[in-house]
Amino acid sequence: MASKAGAQNVKLAAVLDLNEATTLQGTLQSLRGSDIVIDASAVERCGTQCIQVLLAGAKAWEEDKKTFTIGKVSDAFEKTTQLIGVNFEQLLGKEIRQ
Amino acid sequence: MDMNEIKEIFFQECEEQLAELESGLLKLNDGDRDPETVNAVFRAVHSIKGGAGAFGLDDLVAFAHVFETTLDCVRSNKLEPTQDVLKVMLKSADVLADLTNAARDGGSVDESRSRGLVKELEALAHGEVPAPSAAVEAPVPKAAAPVVAVAPTDPSGFQPIPFSFDDFGGEDEPAAALPTYEVTFKPRAELFSKGNEASLLLRDLSRIGEMSIFCNTDDVPALHKMDPEGSYLHWVISIKTDKGEDGIRQVFEFAEWDCELDIKLQEDDAASAEADSELPMIPVPFDLSILDDGPAVAEADTSADVAAAVAAADTASNVMQMAGAAARGEKKESAATAAAAAANNAQAANNASAGQTIRVDLDRVDRLINLVGELVINQAMLSQSVIENDNNGTSSINMGLEELQQLTREIQDSVMAIRAQPVKPVFQRMARTVREIADITGKSVRLVTEGENTEVDKTVIDKLAEPLTHMIRNAVDHGLEMPEKRVALGKNPEGTVKLTAKHRSGRIVIELTDDGAGINREKVRQKAIANDLISADANLTDEEIDNLIFHAGFSTADKVSDLSGRGVGMDVVKRSIQALGGRISISSKPGQGSTFSMSLPLTLAVLDGMVVTVAGQTLVVPLTAIVETLQPEASSIHSFGATQRLISIRNSFCPLVDVGRILNFRAMQANPVEGVALLVESEGGGQRALMVDAIQGQRQVVIKSLEANYTHVPGIAAATILGDGRVALILDVDAVVAASRGQSLKQEMSLASVG
Repeated sequence: MASKAGAQNVKLAAVLDLNEATTLQGTLQSLRGSDIVIDASAVERCGTQCIQVLLAGAKAWEEDKKTFTIGKVSDAFEKTTQLIGVNFEQLLGKEIRQ
Repeated sequence: MDMNEIKEIFFQECEEQLAELESGLLKLNDGDRDPETVNAVFRAVHSIKGGAGAFGLDDLVAFAHVFETTLDCVRSNKLEPTQDVLKVMLKSADVLADLTNAARDGGSVDESRSRGLVKELEALAHGEVPAPSAAVEAPVPKAAAPVVAVAPTDPSGFQPIPFSFDDFGGEDEPAAALPTYEVTFKPRAELFSKGNEASLLLRDLSRIGEMSIFCNTDDVPALHKMDPEGSYLHWVISIKTDKGEDGIRQVFEFAEWDCELDIKLQEDDAASAEADSELPMIPVPFDLSILDDGPAVAEADTSADVAAAVAAADTASNVMQMAGAAARGEKKESAATAAAAAANNAQAANNASAGQTIRVDLDRVDRLINLVGELVINQAMLSQSVIENDNNGTSSINMGLEELQQLTREIQDSVMAIRAQPVKPVFQRMARTVREIADITGKSVRLVTEGENTEVDKTVIDKLAEPLTHMIRNAVDHGLEMPEKRVALGKNPEGTVKLTAKHRSGRIVIELTDDGAGINREKVRQKAIANDLISADANLTDEEIDNLIFHAGFSTADKVSDLSGRGVGMDVVKRSIQALGGRISISSKPGQGSTFSMSLPLTLAVLDGMVVTVAGQTLVVPLTAIVETLQPEASSIHSFGATQRLISIRNSFCPLVDVGRILNFRAMQANPVEGVALLVESEGGGQRALMVDAIQGQRQVVIKSLEANYTHVPGIAAATILGDGRVALILDVDAVVAASRGQSLKQEMSLASVG
C-alpha cells in the first residue's frame, strides 16, 4: 500500500494515549484537503480516544473525497483495533471509496 | 505513598460510605422510595467492595458482594424494601461495619452472625419474603442458594453467585452450553479522564469467555467538532462465558459509574436464525498477547477463527433480537437498569460538583489553631501596651487595634470551624446501639435524632460517643417499659428515644429524651439509703433524688443485665462529661419519661474562665465548674476539727478549701472574710467552696498545655498567657477538691447538681 505521489504521510506516535488524541486531531486538521497515509508501524500502545480521532478523520476525508489510507500497522495497533471492534484494515486498508 | 497509607485512606472512605449506607437505609426505613436513595445505598456497598477487593480483604468482599446482590434486587424493583427487609439490611450494615473494623484493626467478627445474615440476604435476593420479624432466626428455606462461603475461592476474591434467570423470561438453558450474554457498553468521557481505558476493559472482558464485538461509530462527530477527549464509541458485545452476569460486571467494576453498562442474557435457540450482516460483529481473536508484550501464539488464531465464526453467527442473531427488544416485554428489565444507570451517573456528576473537600492532617490544623491562639494573645498584649502608653486617648492606633481585634476573633472562629464537625456520625452510631439493645431486651424502640448537623469540635465529638452510649443503654434498658406494659399504660408499644443537638449561647446542648417510665424516685431513695449515700430520714427534693443516680455504684435495675446495671453508669457519664468541661442534668416525670441534658463547650482549645488572684498569683478557674460566687461573712464560717473550716450556705454546710494553701502558695490559711468563695461542683456532684483572694474578671483564654511545654503540675490543668504577657495557671478544680478531701470529712448533703 504504497502512498500515492503527493499524499501526506502521517506517522503515529508510539503511545497513542489521551494526550496524544488532541495532538492527533490537530495534525489531521492541518492536513485537511490532501490525501494522507497513516503510518501506524511504530504504535506500541493505542487508546480508544485516538482511534476515535482516526475514525472521525476517516469520515472527514471521505466527505472531502480525498484518500485516507492506513499504511503500515504495528501488531499492537492491529490487535487493539481488532479488540475494540474497529476494523481499520477493511475500512481503511484500501482507499476509501471514491 | 505506600500501601499502608492508601489502605488507611480506603478505611477512612469506608467510614464515610458506611455512614452514607446507614443514613440511606434509615431513610428507606422511613418510607423514602426515591431511587436515588437506593442508589446511594448501593453505591456505598459497592465502593466498599471494590476497595476491599483491591486490598484482598476477602471476608469483607464476600459479605459486601452478597449484600450488594440483594441491594441490586431492591434497586431493580424486584424486591420491595419492607420493614422486615430493611431490618435485615440494617443488621447487614452493622456487620459490614464490623468487618471493616476487623479488617483495619485485626480481630474477628462473630461468624455465625454474618453467616446467618448472608443466608437471609440471599433468601431476599431470591425473592423470598423474609420471615416475620418475630421469627427472624427461623431457618432459611432450602430454596436458598448454596451459601456463598465467607472465604472465596476465586483468586480475585469474588465468587460467582447463583443467579435466578427466571426473571428474564428466557427458556431453560441447556446444561452443556455456556450462556451467552449481550453486553452494551457505552463509556462516558469521565471514564477516560479517570485513567481507565475502554480497550483494556474489553481485553479483560475477552478473557472471561468467547466474545465477538460490534463497535458503533455512528456517534463519532466531524473531525473539527469533536472533543478529542470525549467519548463517542459504544459497543455491543456478545460473550459466551460461565462466569455469569456478575463475572462480566466484575470486569467493569471500577468503571461502572462512568459508563452505561447493560448486560442481558441471550437465548441460544435463536442462534440458527439467518445472519443479518447489517451490524457486522467482529470476532475478537484470542491472541491478545501482543497487548501484554508477550510472544504471539500462532495456532490460537485458527481455533479462534472457528470459534469466532460460531460466535459471529450467534451475535448476528442476537443483534436481531436486540432490534426487537423494545417491543418485547421481557426486556423491560434492561430498560429499568439503563434508567437506573443513567440516574447513577447524573448523581455521580452532582456529587463531583457539590461539596469539595480535602483531607488535611489533623496535626496541621492543630498547628494552625495553636498559631492563631498565639496571635490572639499577642493581639491582646499589643492592645494592652498601647492603652497603657496612650496618654491622649484619641490616637488612630486604637481604631486600628479594634479592627485587628475583630479580625483576629474572626480568624479564630474560622480556624475553630475547621475542626468543627457535625455530630451526625456519633448520632448514627447511637442508632446502631439502640437497635442492638432493643434486640437484646426485646423492646421495640425508635430513635429520633434532631439537629445532627450541629457542629462541635472534633475532640469533643470523639469523647462524646462513650457517655452517649451509656446513656442510650440506660434509657432503653431502664427507661423504656416492655411493649406489653406500654400497651397496658395506653402508650405506643414502640418506645421513642429522642436525641437532639443544638447550639445554645456558645455551647452545644445535647438532650436525650425517652418516653419511658421516668425515674422511680422511691426506689432510688431506698437504694441510696441502702448504699449509705443518704441517711434514712433525709428530706430530699425530687431534683436531688434524681441526681442521686449520678453517684458511683448506683443502679436501680433489679438484676444486673448484660447491658447495664453494673453500677458503672451515670457516674462515669457525669465524669466524662465534666472532663469535657460540660454539665449534665436530668429531669424526669414519672410515667412520662426522663430527659438528660448535656451542655458542652464547642471547643477544648479555648475556655471561658474566671481570672482570680491567690496569694499574688493569677489563676484561671473554668467557668463551667463555678456554680456561684459569694462573699463569706464571719458568722457563716465554722471551724471543724483542727484545720478544717466549713461555710454555711443556705442552711447547708460546705467545706471551705483554701486554694492558696492546697497549692502551697502560702504557709498559713488565709482569713476567709478577706477573700471570695467560689462555690464549685466537683466530680460526684459534691460542692466545695474554693477560697481565693479576689476576682479579676471573666475572660476567654487560649489553653496551653503545661504537660507539652513544661511538666505536669498537680492541681493545675493547663496554662494560658494573659494580655499582659504573664502566664496564668488554669486550676484543675477536681484535683484541688480531691487534694482537700484527704483531710476533710465525707461530703455533705448538698446533692443537688445545680446547672
